[in-house]
Amino acid sequence: MVNGFPVATDRLYHPATHMWVAISGGIARIGLDALGIETSGALAQLSVPAPGAEVTAGRPFGQLEAAKFVGPLVSPVSGTLVAVNEAVLADPGLAERDPYGAGWLAEVALAEPDGARPGLLAGREEITRWFAAAVDDYRARGVLAE
Amino acid sequence: MSARRQGGGGTGPGGTGAPRGAWRLLRDDGAGAAAGLALDEALLAGYARGEPDRPPTLRLYSYRSHCALIGRYQNLAAEVDLGECERTGTQVSRRPTGGGAIIMGAGQLGVAWAGRAPAGQRPREIIESLSAGVTAGLARLGIAASFRGKNDLEAGGRKIAGLGLYVDGAGGMLFHASVLAGLDVGFMLRVLRIPAAKLAGKAAAAVAGRVTTVTELTGAEHTAATIRDAIAAGFAEAFGAGLAPGEPSPAERDLAARLAAERYANPAWLHERSMSADGSGSAAIRTPAGLARVYLTTHGDLIKSALVVGDFNELPHALAELESALRWRRLDEATVTGAVARSGAAGALGVPGPALAAAILAAGRQAGERATAAPARSAGSCYFPEPARSAT
Repeated sequence: MVNGFPVATDRLYHPATHMWVAISGGIARIGLDALGIETSGALAQLSVPAPGAEVTAGRPFGQLEAAKFVGPLVSPVSGTLVAVNEAVLADPGLAERDPYGAGWLAEVALAEPDGARPGLLAGREEITRWFAAAVDDYRARGVLAE
Repeated sequence: MSARRQGGGGTGPGGTGAPRGAWRLLRDDGAGAAAGLALDEALLAGYARGEPDRPPTLRLYSYRSHCALIGRYQNLAAEVDLGECERTGTQVSRRPTGGGAIIMGAGQLGVAWAGRAPAGQRPREIIESLSAGVTAGLARLGIAASFRGKNDLEAGGRKIAGLGLYVDGAGGMLFHASVLAGLDVGFMLRVLRIPAAKLAGKAAAAVAGRVTTVTELTGAEHTAATIRDAIAAGFAEAFGAGLAPGEPSPAERDLAARLAAERYANPAWLHERSMSADGSGSAAIRTPAGLARVYLTTHGDLIKSALVVGDFNELPHALAELESALRWRRLDEATVTGAVARSGAAGALGVPGPALAAAILAAGRQAGERATAAPARSAGSCYFPEPARSAT
C-alpha cells in the first residue's frame, strides 16, 4: 500500500493512463492500476476486442465505462491480443477488488519482446515515488472519493 | 481542475490546455434523438489528436418533445417502455456517455461541451470542473446549485441536472449535461420504466422529493429556450471565455448525418446489451415512526439508484444524502456501511446504522437474485428505481 492505495511494484506502469504491464516470456499481461480505477468512478463495463486483434502502444484498444464516464483503454504495449480476461468483462468489480491479480484485462504477444519500453516506469523505487506523488496530487485536487 | 483557476482570456477549463480564443457557441432546438446525439459526437472530430488546436465548442440545445435517452451501457428495454414510446411518439437512443435514462424535450436544456481531452486530469475532476458552467448559469437564474456525490448537480438537496463525460479514441472529449428547466413527471413515469402504481400512487411525490426544476425553484415557467442565455453566460463567466455564435461546419453536418444513420438510429446500437444484468430489490426496516423500505436497482454489483420510502412529510436531508452517496457505487458492505455512517441517515430514521446498512445490503441481494433470474427485467431510471413486486 502506498498512501492508502495498493500498488504492485513487480511490473511496469504507464503513469498517464494508469495501465500496468507484467511481462513474462514475450507475453505482456496488462491491467488498470488501483488509482486509475478509483479516479474513473465505479466500473460498469469493460470492453476489449477478441484475441487476434492487433494493439499499438499509446492507442486505444478497448473502452472503460464507469458510472458517468466512458473513455478509451489505451494499450501500454504493441502486439497481438492472445487472451482476454472473461471474468473481469463479466464482473468489472473484479478489477476494483483485485486490480493486480484476478482483475487483469488482457494478454498481448509482444511485437518486440526485447524492445525498449519508452514511457513505462519500472523498479520499486521509481514506481513507489510516482504512485505516492499521484495519490497526494489527486487527494489535493479532491479527485479521490474518500 | 478549477473552472476559475485560469482567469480570463478564453482558455479552456482550468488546466485543459485548450487554446485561447472565443468558444464557438451553437444553439438549436427540436433535435431528434439520433440526430441530436450524432451532432454532439461529430463535433469531437475537430478535436482529435493531430487536428489544429482550436477553442472548445459549447452547444446549448433542446430535443423534440420527447426523446428518451439511455446511458451508454444500459439495456434499452429494461429502462424504457418501448410500447409507451411508440404510443406517444417518443424517440429513443443511446448516449455515448454514462448515467441513467432521461427524458429530453423542450423543457430540458441539453449541454454539450466539445474539446480536446486534457492531459493529466481524471474523469471525476473534469466532470466537476465543467459542471461549474451550469452551476454559474443556474446562479444567474437565482438558483444555488452544487455538485453532489460526484454525479449530479443538486439544488436544495434535489437533482436539477444530470452529468456525463465521454472521451473518444482520438482524444476528443464530450461533456454532457441535461438541465431541468421543467419536467413532466407524469409523462416521465409513463415512458421510463418506473411503475408508479407499485408505490400506491406515491411515485410522483417521491420523484418530486428528489428532483427539482428551474420552473419550480423560480416560480416562473421555464423551458430550455428561456434558460439557454443564462447557462451560456454561466460558462463564459466560469471559464473566462468569450462565446462566438456559430454553426456546425458542412463536414460536421455530414459526419453527424452518417453517425445518426450508422450508430444512433441503428437498432444494433439501440439494443446493445450489457454483460451485466439489471435487477431491483427492496427490504423493510422498522423505525420508531413505522416501517420504512429501501429500494435498490443494480447493474451487476453496481448500485444504479437507491430510494428510502417511509411516512415522511418531507424527505429528510440525510436520506437524500444517503441515496446520492449510494448511487453508482459498488454494492459491498464497506461501501454501504461508509455511506450510511457519513450521511447520518440512520439517525434521521431513528435506527442503528448497522440495521440500515443491513437493509440496504438485503435489498441488494434480492436485486442480484432477481437479475440472475430475469436479466432483461425493468430496472428503473436515474430518477427513481422500480419498487419491488412484493414486500420482503
